[in-house]
Amino acid sequence: MLSQTNTEQQLLAALGAGDRSATHNIYQQYYHIINGWLIKNGGSSADAADLFQEAMVVLFGKAQDEDFRLTCSIGTYLFAVSKNLWYKKLQKQGREPVFLNDNIENEEDGSGIVYEDDINVHHEREAHYEQLNSALDQIGEPCRSLLMAFYHQDKNMQEIAADFGYTNPDNAKNQKYKCLARLRKLFYTMQAK
Amino acid sequence: MAINNNVWELAETYLAGTLSETDLIELKGRLAADTGFASEFNESVNLIRSMEGNGKQKKFRGMLREIHETVAETNPKKASRRIPLPAHFWRTATVAAGVALLTSTITYSILNPSIKKSDSQYNAMSREVEHLKKVQAQQQAQQNQLIQNINKNAKPAPPPSDVKYQGTGFALTNDGYFVTAYHVLNDGKGDFDSVYIQNHEGQYFKASLVNFNSEADLAILKVEKKNFHFSKGEVPFTFQANKADLGTRIFTLGYRKDDIQYSEGYISAKNGYEGDAQQYTLELPIGAGQSGSPVVDEKGNILGVLTAMGSQAEANTYAVSSKSLTDMIHNLTDNTVIHLSKKNKLGSMTRAQQIDKMEAYTVSVKVYKK
Repeated sequence: MLSQTNTEQQLLAALGAGDRSATHNIYQQYYHIINGWLIKNGGSSADAADLFQEAMVVLFGKAQDEDFRLTCSIGTYLFAVSKNLWYKKLQKQGREPVFLNDNIENEEDGSGIVYEDDINVHHEREAHYEQLNSALDQIGEPCRSLLMAFYHQDKNMQEIAADFGYTNPDNAKNQKYKCLARLRKLFYTMQAK
Repeated sequence: MAINNNVWELAETYLAGTLSETDLIELKGRLAADTGFASEFNESVNLIRSMEGNGKQKKFRGMLREIHETVAETNPKKASRRIPLPAHFWRTATVAAGVALLTSTITYSILNPSIKKSDSQYNAMSREVEHLKKVQAQQQAQQNQLIQNINKNAKPAPPPSDVKYQGTGFALTNDGYFVTAYHVLNDGKGDFDSVYIQNHEGQYFKASLVNFNSEADLAILKVEKKNFHFSKGEVPFTFQANKADLGTRIFTLGYRKDDIQYSEGYISAKNGYEGDAQQYTLELPIGAGQSGSPVVDEKGNILGVLTAMGSQAEANTYAVSSKSLTDMIHNLTDNTVIHLSKKNKLGSMTRAQQIDKMEAYTVSVKVYKK
């Protein structure tokens, strides 16, 4: 099944690059399976959307790492991560997970531990980004909007110069560096606390 | 020295993988020799990666939500189980792998005694202060001439195409006296033809120069129109008599193009450029057109007038202290008397209310010159 492995690896790389059709393919293929499983295990479709999207983000994070090679299929991975996230959520709510037979895979092979690590890394990264966002909220305008335009909305310096009233892209770029310097100060001060 | 002194530019090119072999070796040497630079560089690289990662993930989440809308409606039975890999995935896959490869090579910690501090430059927001200093010698003669010229060249309406420089000004008195940075009016290359202000409602008024101090980089002007008023009441802010403390939170309102802009920051050093005691050094993000903007503390006291921003290497902004301004006002000749407001109406307002109130007293200054 070498060709299938290749295909999955390529699909994963495309996912990591944020390719829409690859993402759409994966979503379409596995969302309904997770949704079906979750409904049998005490969740709703709204829970399924949250859960599956979170699992997709975990996979997206993994796909950023060039060394990442799937030891199982994308479907198995997403399913395992989704289940893990769901059980954690139930535990948090003080509800014991209801183990029902699942029709995809059973997880008695120890691979659950690997997913656990991935999820922990994911949570750490989320906390890191949250801190970054709160630093970003504190740097004030126009820095916040300028950095968001560049890093979150993919605007180039030309567009930013026009939007923010800088006479040329170089001025906008200098302002961006200035804003990054502010953010760095704020962010690392927050981290030191 | 081939590689750039700007740590951010360096971090960006490094992350993009566009540094040449020799630059990379030089960078490694620098990182190894200077721990201070190394930690600054590492922090910068990490911050940029985090910003990029965060942005990517945010976009990915947005895309997932959009995809969910289409997928959730489709019948699961019809969803295809086998995914053909279109040819273009090959390209994205290669790019993704390439990016990952580049970003995963990063962990240096080290520097080089030979880092040359780039000569600190001092960019006046609409022109070089150096020119001002040359002009200073001819100050008196020129001043008279300037005033004459403005009076001669009265035009009925401002020709927008001739706008040479633009800055910001703010009211000293409600009946038309206002201040801006002198360099907005004079680029050191001769006199301007006329000055107009445009208020927050978009109306133009012609103004004439009352006095200026090129050394302090201040100019006082007056709107020519009879019975002109900036707004209904006397100016709502007061002028701080002595210098404010280090760390004082400040904000500013100014015009970039035609839109009023708000930004906030703090006093980062009590003296200004090269220790100039008439100035403050500020941590405040600003852009072209904001020269002459008021620097205001949280209570609504004017602490200074924005004059210049540092070169790209230093992230500083400079302002002339309000003391220089009040000194200048006190030394005006007998026929111009400016009574500054003694009553602060902004003290107990929220920031949004303060801004709202101040808008009417903050104007765009447009300088016309052939």
